[in-house]
Amino acid sequence: MANATDTKDLQNLTRKQLLELERKKKTKLQLWADLIIFFLPFLGGLVAVLEYKLIPDNSRNANPFVYEYFLYILMAAYAVYSVVSMITLNKGNRDMIDKQRYRAPLFTALFLLFAGYDYLTLKTGILTQPFVPCLNFIANAFWRERETILECTIHTLYLLFLGYFIGCILGLITGITCGYSKRCRYWVDPIIKFLGPIPTSTWIPIIMVVASSLFGGAVFIIALGSWFATTVASMTGIAHVDKDYFEAARTLGATNRQLVFQVAIPHAMPNIFAGLTQAMSSSCTAIMIAEMLGVKSGLGWYMNWSKSWAAYDSMFAALFVICIIFTVVTKSLEAVKRHMLRWQIGVEK
Amino acid sequence: MENTKVELKLENVSKSFAKIETDEVTHALTSVTTTMESGEFISLVGPSGCGKSTMLRLIAGLINPTTGKLTVNGEEIEKPAPDRGMMFQKATLFPWLTVKDNIAFSLKMQGKLKGNEDKVENMIKVIGLENFREDYPAQLSGGMAQRVALVRSLINEPPILLLDEPLGALDAFTRMNMQDEILKIWQEKQQLAVMVTHDVDEAIYMGTRVLVMDAHPGRVIADIPIDLPFPRDRGSREFVEYRIDILNKLHFAGKGAKE
Repeated sequence: MANATDTKDLQNLTRKQLLELERKKKTKLQLWADLIIFFLPFLGGLVAVLEYKLIPDNSRNANPFVYEYFLYILMAAYAVYSVVSMITLNKGNRDMIDKQRYRAPLFTALFLLFAGYDYLTLKTGILTQPFVPCLNFIANAFWRERETILECTIHTLYLLFLGYFIGCILGLITGITCGYSKRCRYWVDPIIKFLGPIPTSTWIPIIMVVASSLFGGAVFIIALGSWFATTVASMTGIAHVDKDYFEAARTLGATNRQLVFQVAIPHAMPNIFAGLTQAMSSSCTAIMIAEMLGVKSGLGWYMNWSKSWAAYDSMFAALFVICIIFTVVTKSLEAVKRHMLRWQIGVEK
Repeated sequence: MENTKVELKLENVSKSFAKIETDEVTHALTSVTTTMESGEFISLVGPSGCGKSTMLRLIAGLINPTTGKLTVNGEEIEKPAPDRGMMFQKATLFPWLTVKDNIAFSLKMQGKLKGNEDKVENMIKVIGLENFREDYPAQLSGGMAQRVALVRSLINEPPILLLDEPLGALDAFTRMNMQDEILKIWQEKQQLAVMVTHDVDEAIYMGTRVLVMDAHPGRVIADIPIDLPFPRDRGSREFVEYRIDILNKLHFAGKGAKE
């Protein structure tokens, strides 16, 4: 390292080399601790497997290997992750391995959580079977019902995105027009003030009576919530554009149309994305309520339907799927937002 | 466009603003008549409230006069146009565009970007920000941002360049550097430059003519040609005399001056 600090080299220092150079040297003890923590998830996995295999079951268990394999698959996934991290480290990129080291305790905790849950359900029955089914039952149910669950997932996603996009597109149109034109705001503002405070789920009973198809009704409810969130956010965003930007753009030859599309809308993007995120969360709520109350398909419906058949394992399996798809959807939206708003880095302190 | 000669005429121009809360009216500028031509560097100097910014914004076309007429080569000014480039006290770079796209903004708005990319590159070179081409304004220092704002308004090679206290927010050294940079560009292109400043030294250092303005109501009280060769020496006797003269007219002269 000492050679790299030559003043000659210092002139051509890259950002990465600089960070590397200024990193605090870790003590031997810290390095060992890092290494142990890095491999800790395997230990957690081992604990989960041993807990499952060694402690005798308190109640009936079927196809016991499914959950066991599930644990192996998770451990294998972590192993693959580790190998990839180490390859990137070998190529001189520390980012991935640092991130993995940062997350390793959480992965370990996840395995321990599985072990603890299994102990409370299958092994001791402290949480009564089959109402709070053990993980093996849930995993089995998921595998047994995979086709129905997949069908329901597709239906849920279709309904969610159909309503969300219709609502957001209409919301952007009204929001941007109203942000820009006072006359438009004059007419739309009262609607928003009056209907705004009503949670969208309030409409569901009315829709069930009025709408000719429940699917169409659900789309309407989801779209209404998204429309509302996007309209309000983009309207505020556009209405609060710094007038200095308009003046600068005008002296640079921008036409009125260009002021809207090249200045006002890009400037309002942070607000618009806040609206889109809020619209997504309201859509997720609305779709679950709609599916549980009326729509005859989708994951929400499936959960309710399983409950009525006392198939609690299927119910929990669907719950996990809902959890995963909503996380993925929200994370994807977040990623799009980060990419679109990368100019904001350094603006917000 | 480079060699376009322009003559900017203000005939009896006044501008008043209605106050928002009371029934009063502020007379920001009262009956200004003057002519400015290509190759001149006009400094508008005076205390706040003297109407110097109002005058610049009138020339830019951002606001319209209450009475009187502003014309460029006989044509009345009605709205902003890219041939009257303006630089503001705040850089007002669009934060969502990179340095390159900010500089190219005006060309893009006029649909002239295709085939003119080298002009943008050239401007980046002029201000020496080659390494910041793809950076966003949030990553620039105040001086860099103002340089980008300067070339952004120069990309059209406007025959009239309007500078609204462009260096007011910069530190003293960056400011002096930028004064020379602006002068260099102006000397090369021989546009008509009109600059608002509240710094008397800056007005004399850069201007071929200084319009001294006073407040209540806002008006031009003196039109002083600065007859010194460039580059000017801030410490020379003539320079100091101009300064004393202007400060006198604004009743700010040191001890001994009576009026």
